Amino acid sequence: MTITCGLLPVLEPEEQDHSYEMSDYEGARARWCPGCGDHSILAAVQKLLAAEQLPPERTMFVSGIGCSSRFPHYLKTYGFHGIHGRALPVATGIKLNRPDLDIFVVMGDGDCTSIGAGHWIHALRYNLDIVVMLLDNGIYGLTKNQTSPTTPQGHPSNTQPHGSWLPSLNPLSTALGVTNASFVAQTAEWVPAHLYATLRAARRHKGLSFVRILQRCPVYSSAVYMKAVQDPNRIALLVHDDGVVVPELEKVYKNVVAHDPHDLAAARRVADNMDHVHLGVLFADPSRPRYEDLRRVAPRTAEERLTLLEAELDRYAV
Amino acid sequence: MQSDPRVQQALAALDRPIAEFRALLEGALRQAELFLAEQQADEPARVARAAATLGQFGAARIDATRFAALQPGASRADKTSLDALRRALDVLHQMHARGDGLFVAEVVEGAKLGAVVESALSFIGWAFGAIIVTDLVRGGRYVPAEHESLLDPLGFGGWSRSERRAAPPVIVRVAGHAVRATDLASYADGHVKLVLIVDGACAPAPLARLITPGTFVLQTTDGAGLDRVARFDGPAFAAVLPPGAATFVHDPVLGREPWQRLTVTHIPEAPKKAIGAMSTWQMLEELKQLADLARTPFVVPAAGGAGAPAMGASDAADRIASWLLAQSGLGGTT
Amino acid sequence: MPMLTDTVEAPTGAASRVRPTVLKKREHTVEIVSDSGEGAQRCGQIFGAVSAKMGNGVWTVEIIPAEIQPPARIPEGASGYRIRVGTGPVTNWGDATNLALAFNEQVLLARHRLNALADDAILLVEDKWATHEDADIRAAWVAAMEELSTRHYRIIPVPMEVECLRLVDNPRKGKNMFALGMLARIYGRDTDRIKDQIAFTFRKKSEDVYKTNVELFERGFAWAEHNVDVRIDVAPQQSADALVVMNGNEAIALGAIASGMDLCAMYPITPATSVSHLLSEVFEKFGGIVHQAEDEIAACGVAIGASYAGKVAFTVTSGPGLALKTEFLGAAIMTEIPLVLVDVQRGGPSTGLPTKVEQSDLWAALYASPGDAPHIVIAPATIEECFHVMVTARRLAETFRTVVMVLSDANLATGMTPFKRPAPDAAWQAAPLDLSAVPEGTKAYQWDAQTGLSRRILPGQANGMYTLTTLSHDEGSKVAYSSGVHQRSSAARSRKLAVLQSLLSPPPVYGEASGDLLVVGWGSTKGAIEEAVDRLRADGLKVSSLHLRFLSPMEPGLKPIFQKFKKVVTVELNYSDEVGDPYVTDENRRRGQLAWLLRASTLVDVDCWTRVPGEPLRPGSIVDAIKDRMPKGGAK
Ligand SMILES: Cc1ncc(C[n+]2csc(CCOP(=O)(O)OP(=O)(O)O)c2C)c(N)n1
Ligand code: SF4
Ligand SMILES: [Mg+2]
Repeated sequence: MTITCGLLPVLEPEEQDHSYEMSDYEGARARWCPGCGDHSILAAVQKLLAAEQLPPERTMFVSGIGCSSRFPHYLKTYGFHGIHGRALPVATGIKLNRPDLDIFVVMGDGDCTSIGAGHWIHALRYNLDIVVMLLDNGIYGLTKNQTSPTTPQGHPSNTQPHGSWLPSLNPLSTALGVTNASFVAQTAEWVPAHLYATLRAARRHKGLSFVRILQRCPVYSSAVYMKAVQDPNRIALLVHDDGVVVPELEKVYKNVVAHDPHDLAAARRVADNMDHVHLGVLFADPSRPRYEDLRRVAPRTAEERLTLLEAELDRYAV
Repeated sequence: MQSDPRVQQALAALDRPIAEFRALLEGALRQAELFLAEQQADEPARVARAAATLGQFGAARIDATRFAALQPGASRADKTSLDALRRALDVLHQMHARGDGLFVAEVVEGAKLGAVVESALSFIGWAFGAIIVTDLVRGGRYVPAEHESLLDPLGFGGWSRSERRAAPPVIVRVAGHAVRATDLASYADGHVKLVLIVDGACAPAPLARLITPGTFVLQTTDGAGLDRVARFDGPAFAAVLPPGAATFVHDPVLGREPWQRLTVTHIPEAPKKAIGAMSTWQMLEELKQLADLARTPFVVPAAGGAGAPAMGASDAADRIASWLLAQSGLGGTT
Repeated sequence: MPMLTDTVEAPTGAASRVRPTVLKKREHTVEIVSDSGEGAQRCGQIFGAVSAKMGNGVWTVEIIPAEIQPPARIPEGASGYRIRVGTGPVTNWGDATNLALAFNEQVLLARHRLNALADDAILLVEDKWATHEDADIRAAWVAAMEELSTRHYRIIPVPMEVECLRLVDNPRKGKNMFALGMLARIYGRDTDRIKDQIAFTFRKKSEDVYKTNVELFERGFAWAEHNVDVRIDVAPQQSADALVVMNGNEAIALGAIASGMDLCAMYPITPATSVSHLLSEVFEKFGGIVHQAEDEIAACGVAIGASYAGKVAFTVTSGPGLALKTEFLGAAIMTEIPLVLVDVQRGGPSTGLPTKVEQSDLWAALYASPGDAPHIVIAPATIEECFHVMVTARRLAETFRTVVMVLSDANLATGMTPFKRPAPDAAWQAAPLDLSAVPEGTKAYQWDAQTGLSRRILPGQANGMYTLTTLSHDEGSKVAYSSGVHQRSSAARSRKLAVLQSLLSPPPVYGEASGDLLVVGWGSTKGAIEEAVDRLRADGLKVSSLHLRFLSPMEPGLKPIFQKFKKVVTVELNYSDEVGDPYVTDENRRRGQLAWLLRASTLVDVDCWTRVPGEPLRPGSIVDAIKDRMPKGGAK
């Protein structure tokens, strides 16, 4: 071990009595379009950080490229605004080295389910203890209106003006199909209480928590979630003590489904069921192996390494 | 005492967190020594050091003097600060010299378990203060009046949140009659991990009282499960007890309800005679507590089904609970 | 046909022995070839290792078929090991094999057709095929002997299978130890050391396996003693230094450990993978891990993430993998995250020649990223340097906050040679970072106005919080919308290379500092080039050579050195057009990759001789090429 990042928490001690306010997490002024769903996700995340009292210097947001990937700039934590589709490998490298950091990954639908789809599948399988948010507006926002894998069939864009040719990809059933995936949830940015409760459940889950957040893009894909926004009966809340329960929402959203998130088969049925837009935790299993735990090794000091290296060189000695 | 094979087994199982703490000490030591060397160093020494870091391939081709000039030099420290730094280094060297002994303590006849743990931890706490002093001096921020006390041993009560998280495991050898779990409860925080190696007659479930939702608790008679103590991301207590004791694992990640988290593999009869300060009633109480926590609730199909355990899981857990009660002869008492 | 007829057929153990002629040689090249899976490589490895341990100079090369399991007895399936043994140090694989031992005549034919065998080579070949029940096989044997007879080879038939069957049921497993015994006798190798090496090779197998192998070895030894009338004596020379013997990939792996790195992120690709094989076996006890990612892109991203967060990480790959990593390399350069990337080059483009050596990734390495992406490129020239370069690469990556690419190749990766045992120094592992508190107001990149260098800040450090971005940014990592910032930040990143170049000293010239022709090379060709220069000088030609390690920044002082020669020619293992080829003119001629760079940076009319033979360059070929290119009017 050449550098003991373990020293950092000791050198930068958190005082027992210090408490963080929401304003402690505010970064640059958000530059998304007015009415963009990303604003409300940012607000929910700031609220979560304050509620969970995460020290800003030990919290990291890793993103790719897209409107949604601007997220880290608007927070005052550490941020890694990387390259399109590749947030997850970077987050994997950070977490492998620094299990002490709280890591949130923010991706758009193009970022996660198209160019970064390979990494997405494998990250679900690695099951590192991180929160992965898919900000799904069903369109490429930053590059101005191209079809994404989650664009509903028939929805027009600049690249498929007669409507998307193919049925859209279902991120929930895809994620639930991956071996060792340990947490899959869906929420919507226009139901802030649910968004917050879901993010909190995700953050508290040990393992990779994949949260698909339905996100409105009023500029390019306003039609995508229009019906679900306007008609609460299109929504069904999944409730369970091991998932999320937000009783006050049940006044507006009358479809309440008891769903045990330990039941993978039931989770897959919910994911494939298009009768309603389901919000809640579809699946959670904290006992699945986590890659950073499996790969954690005892660090060795320079002297220990030198001794071991001499022994290794002996094997090649002439 | 370190030659006890059970202590060895515990040290091996806890190798990773121990190595992590050791690397922390080592890292601080090296940085401080380097800083001190830089204070006295003349130019040639600085250049030689820079050349050494480049390795043979680089040193043969790169001008070491100019390379050294690129490295940020250390700031100058005043005498008081340097004295403090030397004292801090002293503390760190002392820790380093103890080797594995830093992580092993023993409760000798007449001593109290709680006091031994406290003293082992406060010795370790000294390291944190010393590490912070080295950093303050290097950053030119050391103020004697404010920071001098950092160079004293630091009782656990004074540890910061991060220090509690950086705590290394401590293995304590203790006689059965001296085991008082309640003395340990206040150490359940951060990543503190205490492993008791118990000799002689002991209450059968002394750690049952330490079971709280976020604490990993293990009782074993053969050391099985100690590796899980090392891996657990939070506070943990474990006891390696003489044969016949109750054995169980309480792993917080396994669920929301106690019965989901607790796996009891053996419950013995309650002892017929008091052991140390523990009366038979107290020992029976601990066994009952264990059985209670492990028992699956009845499945009441609640409205909407929320909160009910999955059928399959509850069946199995129920069977274990009734078997346990039968084994322990407690069936009638609950 | 010069078949050997004077061999004395003596049953093993009988008193009669041939009295061998002893040939004293300063160096000799031996190879053992078989169908794939018959263990020729293992035999060769043991022979090479023991020769090195006895004090001989050694250079080994693997002979690898293109397919994993080619059909038996076809020339394309030849698999084996070539060992050049010398009294002094051996720096390359030489020109041709002097003695070959083959398990069938078809693989021997393959070597013959490749011109791998010296005209007077001694060829020992399994003879069971001559009398095989299958008439086609017998005919193939005859045809092969016919073809081989066009040269002055001396062929010695060996009843390998018959002999082995006396000891084992399945001669396919065991012939290689019999062969090893023969070679040990012919070359007078130390049998105790060989037995030790056999024990080491089969350490994971049972005692019985060891015993059987030793019996086979001894039988082969005795057979040669009774039947082979030639012995070759390449006297060993004990070195004063402690030595180690390993291949270049092993050296890279151990060098990475010595340098203090603790994460290797990779995706399997020949010929780079074996770096990770060794690391996977030992790295964890050093506190390091090998992460096999889902692809090369992810491997690069994981290494970047780990490095950003304070670990010292590297990634290792070959050409096609390098291509995939390029976007991430740009990201690391843009965000000034230190990263070491090892490219073990193979033949390209595309999938190319996966197991064969080439030096055609130089441009790809230099221009790996779109946009202006200055970074460091270094190339070790020897297997020993493969070890030491890792320490330097790590230190430069961290000091200059950039990507360091290390260009090795298949020749270094799989060749094995003894070299001075490294003396690891704790200073090599020195922490890259000062963890002391970040003063308030510190910017993400406080570029020094002179050098462009700045302090790294790690997640976990209070006051440091910033969002790193791959978009163009200012000192504070704020996305740069105003003009001028991109110019300034580009300059800061570029300046670092100028600073590094100012630290380098001009490369030494091998041979005289002036003359008629200067050969310039880089990477694994150093040994062959310098051997060629020695021969040319012995022939009275005024030829010198110069070998470059730093390719970005380019080493300083080249122009004055070049000006002392009438002609400068690069010798490289990559493709270039030949003057005189159809359509090729001096204007459109595509030159060797290094030649191109040197022309651009020195404005000297640098010529090149480059080849892509799918094998290392032979010193003899270099000699011929240089003679061909000697300037008119030069001494001859
Ligand atoms: C390698 C690469 N290809 C393409 C792009 C261009 N690009 C930037 S963002 C983006 C898609 C954005 O869509 P999404 O991921 O859904 O994010 P959103 O903007 O909708 O939040 C594309 C194609 C790029 N930056 N890099
Ligand atoms: S284009 Fe759409 S997704 Fe992007 S910021 Fe505007 S509203 Fe949001
Ligand atoms: Mg999108």
